[in-house]
Amino acid sequence: MDKNNNRLGASFRDPSGFIFKKDGQLYRQVNLIYRENYDLFHSSGLYKKLVRRQMLVSHVEVESNGEIPELCYKVIQPEKINFISYPYEWSFSQLKDAALLTLEIQKEALNAGMSLKDASAYNIQFSGARPVLIDTLSFEKYIEGSPWVAYRQFCQHFLAPLVLMSRTDIRLSQLLRVYIDGIPLELAVRVLPWSCRLNFGLLSHIYLHANAQQRYSDKQVQVNQQQGSMSRLAMQGLIENLESTIRNLTWSPAGTEWANYYDITNYSDNAFETKKGLVRDLINPLAPQSVWDLGANTGLFSRLALDVPGCFVLSADIDPAAVEMNYRECKRENETRLLPLVLDLTNPSPAIGWDNNERDSITQRGPADLVLALALIHHLAISNNVPLVDVARYLSSLGKKLIIEFVPKSDSQVQKLLASRLDIFPDYTPEGFVKAFSNYFEKKQEIPVSGTERILYLFERK
Amino acid sequence: MIHSFFVGKQLLYLDPGSGSFIIQMLLAGILGAGVAVRIYWKKIKKLFVKETDQKPVDETPAEDENGQK
Repeated sequence: MDKNNNRLGASFRDPSGFIFKKDGQLYRQVNLIYRENYDLFHSSGLYKKLVRRQMLVSHVEVESNGEIPELCYKVIQPEKINFISYPYEWSFSQLKDAALLTLEIQKEALNAGMSLKDASAYNIQFSGARPVLIDTLSFEKYIEGSPWVAYRQFCQHFLAPLVLMSRTDIRLSQLLRVYIDGIPLELAVRVLPWSCRLNFGLLSHIYLHANAQQRYSDKQVQVNQQQGSMSRLAMQGLIENLESTIRNLTWSPAGTEWANYYDITNYSDNAFETKKGLVRDLINPLAPQSVWDLGANTGLFSRLALDVPGCFVLSADIDPAAVEMNYRECKRENETRLLPLVLDLTNPSPAIGWDNNERDSITQRGPADLVLALALIHHLAISNNVPLVDVARYLSSLGKKLIIEFVPKSDSQVQKLLASRLDIFPDYTPEGFVKAFSNYFEKKQEIPVSGTERILYLFERK
Repeated sequence: MIHSFFVGKQLLYLDPGSGSFIIQMLLAGILGAGVAVRIYWKKIKKLFVKETDQKPVDETPAEDENGQK
């Protein structure tokens, strides 16, 4: 019998405990080895404090022997997160806010006599616009004098990618897909502009840090000798310096091709309002609880789905600038049900990690009740040459119902795409489109958008 | 295989990196001094502020055991 078959694919490194699924519910087994820290976590008031400040997911203790009873101290059931996302899907500010939250949590922990024993970006999830820590077992007793054991991980998961995004190129966040324990510091050193050395925080935490890592990589450092070598004041200084270094990192979304998208699209104001009304009227009767808006840009149409009570909306776009603007809007509105993410549909987030089973592909995190694919099809079928029937099959794997906008060749946007290439798309017509999609969907509604040549369709998967 | 070692009574599963410990110790002096200066600067300022106006300087409100300020 495989004792590990209910355990989640990513939850194996920490001997303190692990997450497992039972009867469709998620639980966390707290192991006996973690007993002292778990009890201290509660008795010190740290748990209460973090939950009250909405920085940590709450949990309830449940009656259970656990998944592996001989190791088990307690079983807890954590508060659920609407949608799991990963740091390589986040915009600049999402990663920055996750980093600042981690440091704020460490400050609170120190006040309570505890310290974070890891600082992985995967321990942070988003509840709408709000980042929150999901790893309840991240805390250990703080021993005065000991250095921060999570410092290396923090610099690789948070600081290095943020500096690369801010000072070299926003697209470098994708390196996090390749380096699942954060970006190696010596790689960041090679890529970053020389001027970064002039910043004390970056010099210390990236350059000198990378240097020390390489110098001492094969040396055994007696850990016990390190106690008493870093005072609480120094620890405080370290955290504060990391915080101010990160706060000073900025990125402006202006200047990418999609940032001013809605100013240059094919829609007159009238036609735009018409389309909004049509989409809204299509969504509401369906009363979906989860909507994925693909190619959402800044989330204008995503927000229509928020009218449905309790509905969660994923607002995904390929452009980090659009996602950044969407996220900033979410923060201004204190949005709890909308999650903007960076996603390239022609190369979406795959399953990665050990056994390709630690982080889920985007498809594994579905299906959604409803998928929106507005002003999208021509980018897939024409720009990327994906046959319509394959687009249909993929979209049917992502959601149970689909609202999709067909953009015909006569549309000026498609004309632009075809301007410098051969028209090899004989089936790219409304009839060809419906025929391809009928392989996987039943057509429920067909509505031309007046003022344009585009057509909205409502499909339900077979 | 889970790599674990003990710092005092702690059970750590994460490799903190020897270099990462060294660099923290090197920076410790500077960073600690920075915080100390900031704290003492506030105290020095307090002395001067008291002389020019009679209002006592507000300290960060302490929190009671329920975390209420």
